[in-house]
Amino acid sequence: MTSAYSSTLTLAAGAVLICAVVVLWVTSVRSVLRVVATQGFALGCVAMTVGVHMGDAGLMATAAVVLGVKGLAVPVLIGRAAGGAPDRERRPLVNVPASLVASAALIVVAFAAARGVATFVGATNGALVPVGIATLLVGFLVLVSRRRPIFQMVGLLLVDNGVALVAFLCTAGVPFLIELGVSLDVLLGVVVLMVLAQRLRSEFGDLDLDELRELHD
Amino acid sequence: MTADLLVATTLVGLVAAAAGAAAPERFRARVVSALTAAACACGLAVALDVLRSGRAAVVHTGRLLPLGGLSLALDRFGALFVAISAVVAICAMVFRLGYDGHGFSSRTASCVLPLFVTALLLVPAAASVTTFLFVWELMAVTSLLLVLVDHRRRPEVAVAAQWYAVMTQFGAAALLAGLVLLATHAGGQSFAAIASGSSGMPAWVRGTAFVLVAVGFGSKAGMVPLHVWLPRAHPEAPGPVSALMSAAMVNLGVYGIVRVGDGLLGGGPAWWWLLVMGLGALSALFGSLHAATSTDLKRLLAYSTTDNMGLVLLGVGAAGLFASTGHRSLALVALVAALLHVVFHAMFKGSLFLSASSFQQATGTRDLDRLGGLLRRMPVTGSLFLVGAGAIAALPPLCGFVSEWLLLQALLHGLPSSDPSLAIALPVGVGVLALTGGLTALTFVKAAGIGLLGRPRGTQAAEAGEVPRSMWAGAGVLATLCLVFGVAPSLVVPAVLDAARAVTASRVPGPLVRGWDVGLLGARGVLAPGLLALGLLVAVVLVAGVRSALQRAAVRRTEAWGCGREMQTARMQYTATSFGEPLTRVFEDVLTPAHDLDVSHVAESRYYVEAATFHTSLDDAFERHGYRHAASGLAWWGRLARRVPNGSVHRYLAFGLAALVVVLVVLG
Repeated sequence: MTSAYSSTLTLAAGAVLICAVVVLWVTSVRSVLRVVATQGFALGCVAMTVGVHMGDAGLMATAAVVLGVKGLAVPVLIGRAAGGAPDRERRPLVNVPASLVASAALIVVAFAAARGVATFVGATNGALVPVGIATLLVGFLVLVSRRRPIFQMVGLLLVDNGVALVAFLCTAGVPFLIELGVSLDVLLGVVVLMVLAQRLRSEFGDLDLDELRELHD
Repeated sequence: MTADLLVATTLVGLVAAAAGAAAPERFRARVVSALTAAACACGLAVALDVLRSGRAAVVHTGRLLPLGGLSLALDRFGALFVAISAVVAICAMVFRLGYDGHGFSSRTASCVLPLFVTALLLVPAAASVTTFLFVWELMAVTSLLLVLVDHRRRPEVAVAAQWYAVMTQFGAAALLAGLVLLATHAGGQSFAAIASGSSGMPAWVRGTAFVLVAVGFGSKAGMVPLHVWLPRAHPEAPGPVSALMSAAMVNLGVYGIVRVGDGLLGGGPAWWWLLVMGLGALSALFGSLHAATSTDLKRLLAYSTTDNMGLVLLGVGAAGLFASTGHRSLALVALVAALLHVVFHAMFKGSLFLSASSFQQATGTRDLDRLGGLLRRMPVTGSLFLVGAGAIAALPPLCGFVSEWLLLQALLHGLPSSDPSLAIALPVGVGVLALTGGLTALTFVKAAGIGLLGRPRGTQAAEAGEVPRSMWAGAGVLATLCLVFGVAPSLVVPAVLDAARAVTASRVPGPLVRGWDVGLLGARGVLAPGLLALGLLVAVVLVAGVRSALQRAAVRRTEAWGCGREMQTARMQYTATSFGEPLTRVFEDVLTPAHDLDVSHVAESRYYVEAATFHTSLDDAFERHGYRHAASGLAWWGRLARRVPNGSVHRYLAFGLAALVVVLVVLG
């Protein structure tokens, strides 16, 4: 029983991290959205697994919300924001091989940093905490290294998923209400970025956040 | 009972602030003044009761402030300062009834003024680090807002406020560091815990904390080289506020140094006090020199505040030095002299600042070179200014004489000492005291002679009229106190002695006062101010009598100092600039005067001058050589740092990522 729980959890959490790294690898907007949806689904599976294992109805409800919002609603919304934009991230600030190497380094940092946390969370969950932190760091790397607003949204989503993963593993589930709030916040963030992206396109014709230096004081 | 009154002081102060924000403009000045004066009256009642009975007024509540709540405990030493602030504030509030400064009746100013006064009253009562820092910062922020009142009309106000803001925050940071250092090593943040734990602290902790605290409090007391804000902010503040700042707020710097150095740390090694003495002597000299050469009346008074606080610190330092070398009774006399000078300085400087603000309101200028003949135009205010000037110049029978005499005696009685630090420091102290006394006399001969006597040097001074009654009443109370305390110092000396004993826990027995006379706790020397006053009175009557007896001939009225010329103009009189000019020449290296002479010639011939303009200004040497360089260094650093954030969103995000990774690596 425990080993089934542990291997399911490891599989789902691993899928979350792998999705994050794959985001760095692909450049096409359409495939990135599919990856993000997969990640949301995997995150929902993590929550659901923990919920079933603990017999916690609130956590299961949370898992359902995560599946709905992160696995479905957000990718669809981002896809709509992408609309008629060119379909690729052509010249990222850090190219793909370099960002993959950087993500490897970040994952090492995450595992080194999470040793302390692992000792006071249960064995199975503690071993997976670094995965959450690594997802967060990789998401941050996406934010830093990609120019297109779509990728910025995706990066933000990865950061949020990383935080959520750590939360599910560490505290055996965040209260339902808080997770609901956070998910809605992410949804709102995506909507705001969507509006910003459309404005950018209508103002500048192209979508490149690095053109926005005029805001500099 | 006293604790209730202490609470009442705070509450009435807060009510006054609320009333200032809510009252309609017609009654605002009256309501705010009355309520603030009521708060001060409560404070004065608490202070007098504590001074009389010696029982501390204690208020402690676990709520209201984070980290330990609000904790007040007013002992005799604090009560002395509360009493000073309360008296000055009541007079300033009376003065405020007639005062008409630009923007001073606004809602903001009326709301902030009572808060400032309340903070002034509460600082000496604070009994824990958090409470102290809270009321201290409240005092700093509210006084800053009050300095800023007139900033729309005059840009120099904003500059002055900037200097003040930077210096007061710098001082507060030093205070925070010093007090937190003490609190962590004492294992508790109440002053009682620090006092009981301080003797076991390592020497470096005590030394570092004392230096930090001395820097913080010294900047508030206007100690050179941290004084630069004072001659800017005090003159630009509205009249009552400048009196409160110069007569009440600066005292709290001295309060802090004595409270921490003598009270919480229980005295320290000789080098602490040599440092305080040295900076005090420097402040006294530098302040008096600048005061003697200033031509702006309020700036002159502000520099004179630096000078007087320097003398007080000289006394405080000498007291500490005596204590650390085992001269217990001299230590007590020196501390009493210093505290007495704080009391008297508050009285005469309050009166002088209020009178100077009256002159400013009546003439619209503070420039001595445009004043003149005001004693005839404004006889009451002019006489009050003369009393204050006499007191600050330490003329008997006014109060300044008593404290300076006592300080001089304390320094002189320590002279036959074998201890090398005393043998070097004391003669220097005596010399500084003497030179400062001379320069102060010169300063106020100038201020009174140029401003009050002679003929008006401008139309504004010529058309000036006496100010409303409440204004001279406010200054008048303080001037009267100067005279009363000068004739009968026995009214105030015992209370000051008790205060000094309370803070140093000194066990030297015996009173300083015998009947009307002030003695020296065993050392030889007695001051009999009553006899002195009587003698002076007799001498004045005699001289006047002899003069009127001899002056039988008819009085011939003619132009004085006519030098045979006709048609003299007021511009031919001595001005404040010309009065200070010899001194400026002698101390050219310190005062660094800048002259600017612009002569234009008639077109036909170069030998005929059409017009000549002459402009002279004095710079503050510390400001020019120290602060300007520091400021330009900071600006360079700032420009360098501005290149890092170039506006790219990705770069900002990268900062976030880097910070996150660093935190994870460091904490993990």
